[in-house]
Amino acid sequence: MMDRRKFLGLGLAAVALVPMTASALDFRKEKPDAWKAEKPADAIKALYGDIKLEEKGVEIKAPKLAENGGKIPVFVKSDIEAKSVAIFQDANPRSAVAVWTVPAGGIIDYGITMKMKGTGKITAIVEGKDGKFYSKVLDIEVSKGGCGG
Amino acid sequence: MKVKAKEKDGIVKAKVLAKHQNIGAEEGLKKKKEANFITSVIAKVGDSIVYEMNGSGFMSKNPLYKFKFKGKKGDELEVTWTDLKGETKTKKAKIK
Repeated sequence: MMDRRKFLGLGLAAVALVPMTASALDFRKEKPDAWKAEKPADAIKALYGDIKLEEKGVEIKAPKLAENGGKIPVFVKSDIEAKSVAIFQDANPRSAVAVWTVPAGGIIDYGITMKMKGTGKITAIVEGKDGKFYSKVLDIEVSKGGCGG
Repeated sequence: MKVKAKEKDGIVKAKVLAKHQNIGAEEGLKKKKEANFITSVIAKVGDSIVYEMNGSGFMSKNPLYKFKFKGKKGDELEVTWTDLKGETKTKKAKIK
C-alpha cells in the first residue's frame, strides 16, 4: 500500500504543476496597475519595471488614417524570440490594450481590432528571451473616435 | 464565436471572431451600461497553449483576433475567452 504521506505529497506536487501548464502568467491578475495607468510610459513601468527600450525588431501594421476609431485593425510582428508582447496607446483614458504571453516556439504575428478615442500613438513592446526589450511606436490618425463618443 | 484555422507549410493561420460588446469603463458611463469586456483569450491544440492574450476595454466591439502558430492539418484548435464578469465561451475548430 502506498504510504499516506507520500501519497499526499504527490497530490500536492500535481496541483502545483497544473497552473504552469494552464497559463504562464495572467497579466490582468499579476499586474493590475499596468491596466490602470493613463500614460504608456507608466503602464510599461507597471508591467515590466524600469526598462530600457531598443527601437528595433518590432513591426506594427495599422492604417495611417483610421476612419472608424471603433475598429482599427492592428498587427504586431516580430522575429525576436520573446516571452511576451504588449500594446499600448495614448488616446484612450487608460493606456494598456493587450498583453500576450508568447508560448514556446510561438510566432509573433498578432492581429487585433482596437478602439481609439482619437489620433494617437500606438506602442508595441516585445520582451525578448535575452532579457532586452524591443519597441516600436506608430502614429495613427483617427477621424471618428471609437469610444462611444 | 467563430473560429477558423488553416495550415500551410507547417504554419497555421487562425482567425477568431468573438461576439462581445466589449464595453470599457468610460464607454459604459456614456451608454449607461455596465462595463464588461473580454479579459483573456486562450487557444490550445491538445494540451499545449498556442495563443494567450490578456485584453482591456479598448478592444473593439465583436473583436477579431488573428494569430499564427506551428501546427498541422486535422488537429483541433480550442479557443476560450473569459470576460470581466467571469463568463466564458469555448469553441473548437478543425485545422484545415
